[in-house]
Amino acid sequence: MSEIAAAGIRPRWRSSLDAGAEMARGAPDVRRVLQLALAAIWLLDALLQYQSFMYSTAFSQMIGATASGNPGAVASPITWDATLVSHHAVLLNSIFATIQLLLAIGIAWRPTVRLALAASIAWALGVWWFGEGLGMILTSGASPVNGAPGAVIIYALLAVLLWPADRAGMPAPFTAARAIGAPVARALWLVLWLSLAYFALLPANRTPQGLNSMIAGMESGEPGWLAALDRGAASLVAHQGLAASIVLAIALAVIAVGVYLPASAAKPILALAIVASAAIWVFGEAFGTILTGGGTDPNSGPLLILLALAYWPVRAVITTPARTTLAPVGANEGTTAS
Amino acid sequence: MTPSWILDIFAAIMLAVAAVSAGRLAAARPWLQGTQAVLADTDVSHLLMAIAMAGMLTASLRTLPNGAWEVIFAALTVWFAYRVIRDAQVSGARALAGGHCAPHLIHAAAMLYMFLALMAPAAHGSGGMADMAGGMSGMGTLQLPFLAFVFALLLIGYSIWDLDQVSGPGASGHYSLATARMVPAVAVLVGAAGGPGAAAASVSADGSSSPAEATDAQRVNASIPTGHAGHGVLAPWVATTCRIAMGATMAFMLLIMI
Repeated sequence: MSEIAAAGIRPRWRSSLDAGAEMARGAPDVRRVLQLALAAIWLLDALLQYQSFMYSTAFSQMIGATASGNPGAVASPITWDATLVSHHAVLLNSIFATIQLLLAIGIAWRPTVRLALAASIAWALGVWWFGEGLGMILTSGASPVNGAPGAVIIYALLAVLLWPADRAGMPAPFTAARAIGAPVARALWLVLWLSLAYFALLPANRTPQGLNSMIAGMESGEPGWLAALDRGAASLVAHQGLAASIVLAIALAVIAVGVYLPASAAKPILALAIVASAAIWVFGEAFGTILTGGGTDPNSGPLLILLALAYWPVRAVITTPARTTLAPVGANEGTTAS
Repeated sequence: MTPSWILDIFAAIMLAVAAVSAGRLAAARPWLQGTQAVLADTDVSHLLMAIAMAGMLTASLRTLPNGAWEVIFAALTVWFAYRVIRDAQVSGARALAGGHCAPHLIHAAAMLYMFLALMAPAAHGSGGMADMAGGMSGMGTLQLPFLAFVFALLLIGYSIWDLDQVSGPGASGHYSLATARMVPAVAVLVGAAGGPGAAAASVSADGSSSPAEATDAQRVNASIPTGHAGHGVLAPWVATTCRIAMGATMAFMLLIMI
């Protein structure tokens, strides 16, 4: 119930809202807006999947390349998948694109949101393995700057966090906590961002030119202005791989623990997460290389931003089987902890 | 390259949208509505855009010369920009975020961009729509690809939002979809007679509609003959569904031409 528990945006005099009446008003709540953003990204993915590039041999080669560096048990199915795609490129790619199209429609279409979110989790996990090589996290080349731990796994994470259910009687200090509770949601955030910090410190990323090469490598095929931005960013970290990696890892670690802080401190840290994700998206991921005509998705940047918004502190929402009630003003203000 | 049968499917959807939009115009008979005839602008724009897109997607379908489409979509862009500004004067930035005309403005501007951005590289061709279609199936590219990306994002955003609204139990008042249900006919007639302010006052009484929503309701409903509003092909969800299909198709075209 209470799809429309509009945490933090309701005037004080309306401290008790009837969910049914609110649904009739049709004003989407924060979680619904985030679900729609997720649906929009799935739709973008679907349309990108229909591009010419995806019907060429380059697509299967791109899939096959993700096997490199992975353990045999992970790499073998990827190689099999890449071979299969190369033999049936038109059929399989059209199916892939259509599945993503249906996921987008299903999430945006209210009666099917649960089904579509569940399907998106299964699909994302499959793509994470067979299409992204588990985000290369088992290789030495993973980096938060190039999209580790894999954009598609964040789709699955978002589907879990934005699941349309509420834990009865439990206050939800942020949107991501509504379905699974604050402790689990915080733990997931911590694991994700600490893993990003860990990836930033991998030996390959600490080399003097590691980060520089990674960013400069995004220039190819990009419009002039974006290539110039990449060149500028790459020159900033030239021969500074170790220092840049340490600074990045510290920032990511701070972001990781940010959701455990009081709301007043969590907000600036979440803002930092949004800024860092945007910077990664522009400079490290070049908008998912969409502007080259060869991008299959926007990469991890927008998804990390969406994730940060799902953890943005709101006035705690207490749900009951029949009603959604905002906690008394001040009851949960000043802290995101429940 | 993208298989031609996929382009043909999208073209067929656009032809269906064109047929539905023509049907709505025929049923609403805006030419009999006097000054309110201009309120059929959304259906007219749907009809024109759908035909143009079908022509772009299928090389065998010849419509108007590129130059004619550029003039048409430039005019539609100016018209909807005027409508958005007028809405913004009543409801502020909300007219941009969830207003009735903002999606049409983006659609018209995206169409204009597509024709202008592809015209230069195709200038050596015959100059007809086949140039555009040939460009697509032959994977021609658009100038200023970042602009194509931005337009695609906006179109995707509006399509998803529309889909949410059309599937909601009560639906939002932001779109014509809901206002047809929510606004009493008398209130609409009063609003139509008294101008946007009168419409706003009558609709805000239920506490869920803004002044901009009221003007939307006035526009949409006033363009439909009394007794026909919200039924059959004139049902607001039909127009919204057309807009969803067009937005998604337009985003598809922009992305495959990057």
